[in-house]
Amino acid sequence: MVALETSALGKRYGRKWGLEDCTFRLPAGRIAALVGPNGAGKSTLLRMAAGITRPTAGGVRIFGHSPQEQTVEVLRQVGYLDQERPLYRSFRVEEMLRFGRKLNPTWDDPAARGYLAELGIPLEEKVGHLSIGQQAQVALTMCLAKRPALLLLDEPVAALDPVAREGLMHVLLRSVVDDNSTVLLSSHAISDLATVCDYVVILSASHVHVADDLDYVLASHRLLVASSEEASELPPGVVVISTTNSERQTNVLVRVEQPVIDPAWQVIEPTLEEIVIAYLRAPKSTVTTPGPTGDGRLGEGAP
Amino acid sequence: MIWATWRMHRSIFLVSIGVASALAIWLTITGLIEEHAWTIFVNHHCSLNYPGSSPVCSSSYSGRGLFSSINSALCNALPVVLGLVLGAPLVAGEIQGNTNRLAWTQTITRTRWVITKIGVGALVTAGIMGAMAPLIWWWTNVAERNDRILPFNFDISGFVEVSYALFAFMLGVALGAVIRRIGWTFAAGIPIFVAVRLGERDYIRPGLLPPTSVSVSAYNPGGGVDWVLNSGFLPLGDFAPPPGQTWSSNDQTIASCQGSGAEKAAHSVTYCEKALHLHYVEQIQPASHFWALQAVESAIFIAAAGVLLGLTVLAVRRWRT
Repeated sequence: MVALETSALGKRYGRKWGLEDCTFRLPAGRIAALVGPNGAGKSTLLRMAAGITRPTAGGVRIFGHSPQEQTVEVLRQVGYLDQERPLYRSFRVEEMLRFGRKLNPTWDDPAARGYLAELGIPLEEKVGHLSIGQQAQVALTMCLAKRPALLLLDEPVAALDPVAREGLMHVLLRSVVDDNSTVLLSSHAISDLATVCDYVVILSASHVHVADDLDYVLASHRLLVASSEEASELPPGVVVISTTNSERQTNVLVRVEQPVIDPAWQVIEPTLEEIVIAYLRAPKSTVTTPGPTGDGRLGEGAP
Repeated sequence: MIWATWRMHRSIFLVSIGVASALAIWLTITGLIEEHAWTIFVNHHCSLNYPGSSPVCSSSYSGRGLFSSINSALCNALPVVLGLVLGAPLVAGEIQGNTNRLAWTQTITRTRWVITKIGVGALVTAGIMGAMAPLIWWWTNVAERNDRILPFNFDISGFVEVSYALFAFMLGVALGAVIRRIGWTFAAGIPIFVAVRLGERDYIRPGLLPPTSVSVSAYNPGGGVDWVLNSGFLPLGDFAPPPGQTWSSNDQTIASCQGSGAEKAAHSVTYCEKALHLHYVEQIQPASHFWALQAVESAIFIAAAGVLLGLTVLAVRRWRT
């Protein structure tokens, strides 16, 4: 089952495209990282998926339904955490929960209270008096307690210290595992994501570059290193994502279909962070969207 | 959602109720002072100085303007201020604070969200204005007595103010949904409301009910002052200016008949009317039309509020970032 599917999705702000020609599928049950630099269109994508923003071009489907129709059935399935973490600042935390309970038939009040107790957030405190980090945790609780099938989280851990970050991720993961829900979460903290995510969507300069299983992404990229003098022809069958030259050595991050054996190059398995950075650094023109590779693997048969 | 709306806008609701209560107390005090002054004037001044002719004396009373202008201004301003204060933040406030993104991703359609919010806000607006209207009317009656159909009194009499407030409320909601900033909503809402109200008063209200034309010499006013829309000397038998004439066409004829300069007032108006076969006609909304006019005008403002409600729902449903 496909949780989220976009086809040629685009959003234009004035003359500039915030997101352009975005096509990918997110299978149900995955925890997907949406990574990209500032202004890449991550928030725009999430807002369109949540039905808040209307696409200029293309479409997006949540479990087969358009979120723009904003029918109650679609809304019930989506938990959306906005980047701004909007909450009613004059409400007490308790009242925010009441708001959630009144407006969501699927609301799980014991779970919401459980999360907040675990995170140490007092229910009688006014939301506006909470720290930024605590507000983020209340906002995430509002999403989780709805028990949605798809969570769209825009920078859920930004502005959190490492301890709070871990606590929040723990709550998130447990909830997701319990409900077998799908998550698409954007973040700058790529290292955090690598430990929790099993799917990755790389967005840069308003385009999708990679949307695939994390394991596959890791396995299909290699970092080739050679000293600058010895750097010669690249092995056959590799697609260059980005090249960095220093005085002493040349690093080339490539996408491969088969194992690379070339004595001229030292072959290293890159981390997710290195892969992401390579895509973000790559000039727009040299990047090829992994169309058939990605799409072919995204169907029902995906592992 | 009803609870949520109340909770979200609780402070502005309570502040509005508080300010309205303060105004109510002010109107009560000033009204009592004016009534007291009136009683003293009639009972002491008139009965002492003009025994037996107190109606003539009381009509010469000039002390009623004590709080008249300030209170008229307050009462005229109340519907628009109340309506905009309650209406402007309803949608614009949420968009400004990004909380619309929270609200619109709960399990509730935007239509239901906005309709519920408007419903609660409209109820509060109508409640406050409805409670104030009788008090305001009591005050206008004290100060203005029996000329309630005249435009300046009509606007702050009866129940028509409730419809003004509901219209101002929906104007605030609708403008807020389009402009998305509370401050600018106010800046745009006040002049629009004033233009609509004055335009309605001067150009639409006179014709809301078919006016009556009366020959003044033969007219016996039924009680209360009528609202004179037009008046002039017309040929006997005519109750509207004949083709090619206006209400003031015969003013000059009467004036020349009366004479000018040293001979002025050689003839009385009555004499000239008879001589020239004219009679003085007033086109009026009679005092008896008061309640009917209130009802029709209220219906118009409430219908306009209904149109704004429709536009708001459309704007919220089609909202883009």
